Amino acid sequence: MVSERVIRNLKSEFRTSALAKLGLVLVVGVVLVAVFAPFVAPHNPTAQNLGESQLPPLGFTETKETTTSEMEDGEVVTRTVQERVEADAAHPLGTDGLGRDMLSRVVYGARTSLAVGVLGTLFAALVGVPVGLIAGYYRGKLDDGLMRFADVSLAFPSLVLAIALIGLWGRVAVPVPDPFVVAGLVSDMPERFTLPGTVIIVVGLVNWVWFARIARGEALSLRDQEYVKASRALGASHGRVIRRHVLPNAITPIIVLGTVQVAAIILLESSLSFLGFSGTTLSWGFDIAQGRDYISSGQWWIATVPGLAIMLSVIGVNLLGDWLRDALDPGIEGEGGV
Amino acid sequence: MSLGRFAIKRTLQGIGVVWGVITVVFALRFVTPGSPINAVAPLDADQETRRAIAAELGLDQPLYVQYGQYLFDLIQGDMGFSYVRGQAVTPLVASKIPATVELAVAATVVAIVLSIPLGVISATRRNQPVDYGATLFSLFGISTPNFWLGIMMILILAVEFGVFKTSGRSVDVGDVVLSTVGPEPFLDTLLGWLSYITLPAIALGTYFTALITRLTRSGMLDELGKPYVRATRAKGLPETLVRYKHALRNTLTPVVTVLGLQLGTLIGGAVITEAVFSWPGLGTLVIRSINLRDWPLLQGSLIVIGVSFVLVNILVDMVYAYLDPRVAYE
Repeated sequence: MVSERVIRNLKSEFRTSALAKLGLVLVVGVVLVAVFAPFVAPHNPTAQNLGESQLPPLGFTETKETTTSEMEDGEVVTRTVQERVEADAAHPLGTDGLGRDMLSRVVYGARTSLAVGVLGTLFAALVGVPVGLIAGYYRGKLDDGLMRFADVSLAFPSLVLAIALIGLWGRVAVPVPDPFVVAGLVSDMPERFTLPGTVIIVVGLVNWVWFARIARGEALSLRDQEYVKASRALGASHGRVIRRHVLPNAITPIIVLGTVQVAAIILLESSLSFLGFSGTTLSWGFDIAQGRDYISSGQWWIATVPGLAIMLSVIGVNLLGDWLRDALDPGIEGEGGV
Repeated sequence: MSLGRFAIKRTLQGIGVVWGVITVVFALRFVTPGSPINAVAPLDADQETRRAIAAELGLDQPLYVQYGQYLFDLIQGDMGFSYVRGQAVTPLVASKIPATVELAVAATVVAIVLSIPLGVISATRRNQPVDYGATLFSLFGISTPNFWLGIMMILILAVEFGVFKTSGRSVDVGDVVLSTVGPEPFLDTLLGWLSYITLPAIALGTYFTALITRLTRSGMLDELGKPYVRATRAKGLPETLVRYKHALRNTLTPVVTVLGLQLGTLIGGAVITEAVFSWPGLGTLVIRSINLRDWPLLQGSLIVIGVSFVLVNILVDMVYAYLDPRVAYE
């Protein structure tokens, strides 16, 4: 399945491309942060501390205006007090409106984005690839049906379909115990991690057609190859031919599509949680929605920081995708002509 | 096959897809847990209302009758009744279409005007600073969530400098057109319109600008290496003509296809851009209808979105056939 030639291409492409290296660093970084979140995060991301709310990130100061009104001699007196708020080294990226540590929230948000991105893509591939392979291999009515269905499902934007389905099905959140906390390796961190179950299913359901289309196209061209025919002539069953010959030879574009989909689904998840259609509150998109209420009063970092996290992770995945595409399938795009 | 017959064939295919869209939207009624009445009736409806709604919707009828009735009503332009708002769905949805179309068209114009020159320049000055700049820009553009980009623009341009409006659509493109003949001063109306449309259009258009820049760049690189380009150069055609008349035209065909296919992404992006800028379009309507559990309204909006996708793709295929006449003959 992974031949020596493929590995050689991957290596040589990696050596020559600075962007591929950057992509790998970013993705490995995000994965490590997500997996070891309880160790990386300096504070509990859900712990509120109103005494330390709206602290700016390191290197910035902030003037906080507090308006108080009191009854004095039967008249309402309003006083506006301006105080300078200095950044606190304990909260390098500042705190949000409820005094929660932004860095810790960004660290834990990586878990949600990554979990939804990877599990959603896997789910989409597990549904789409078999359907596409079978349709392309057998052709006929099944194939016609799939293609017509693909046409129809393309007509609905994935975001719109996703919010419609989540609106209909509700937001199911699956609490998963955090192994590091359960094992007692860290304390003061959330004991459970909330997996937004509906979101994972829905992003998979709205994206499986892409996998089906790619797998179908590959199966369509592979079914007439000599070695496939030879295998059939030797008495192999259709199922065996698909598993042993069609799937392994179709896997490269599927993997390339998979990375593109992880990036797309991370963006989709952030949009969904920004709009309030997620099952968890530890999500970059959710934090941007919270921070949006503060931009007009000057607390710019609450919306800015999680957005930068999304951008860096998606850039990382996209660069990784470009690397895989250029190395595995030099014909597709990118390097044209002489 | 002539262009006309190609148009007819594509339209018939399109009708098939529209039928599929309607069927899927009809089926949505049944994927919600519990009785479909729950999905349609307001949450506080009493038994009497619920029974009336059930009879009105024909929910006591066999499925094929319900389906036939639904199709029949739709053909007459009747998309049902929103019990939550106490209004017919069709006029409500229709009133929101112009705002979304305006936003989507503005974003597309921003994207095309910026991306195609950028992609061409980037390809013809390969590995020069402008190429690196364009590549970096496209990487950021396809990796940035558009709602966050919108908020950042509000933060920097609107909050800090107070240049643009951050919400609503008090002046629309229709006002600008009217001001050319009416009493309103044209320039003020135009600037007023721009102050509303600019930020949402850029927020929504950036992803597409980045995507088309990428496609144009790699397409141009492909084309410029082909023998026919060398032939046109050899016969002494000026480089400008070689690039823009020959290479660019062949580059644009895949770009046009991708634009058509990405229309779904554009509308999906419009939904969230509308949410950021309180833009009174279909997207805002969709989100509100879901939050209020107003399924007839949601179904109506979905049908309009699905049908417009099909329509635009037929148009795109016609443009494609014009750019590359071989398509119509296949």
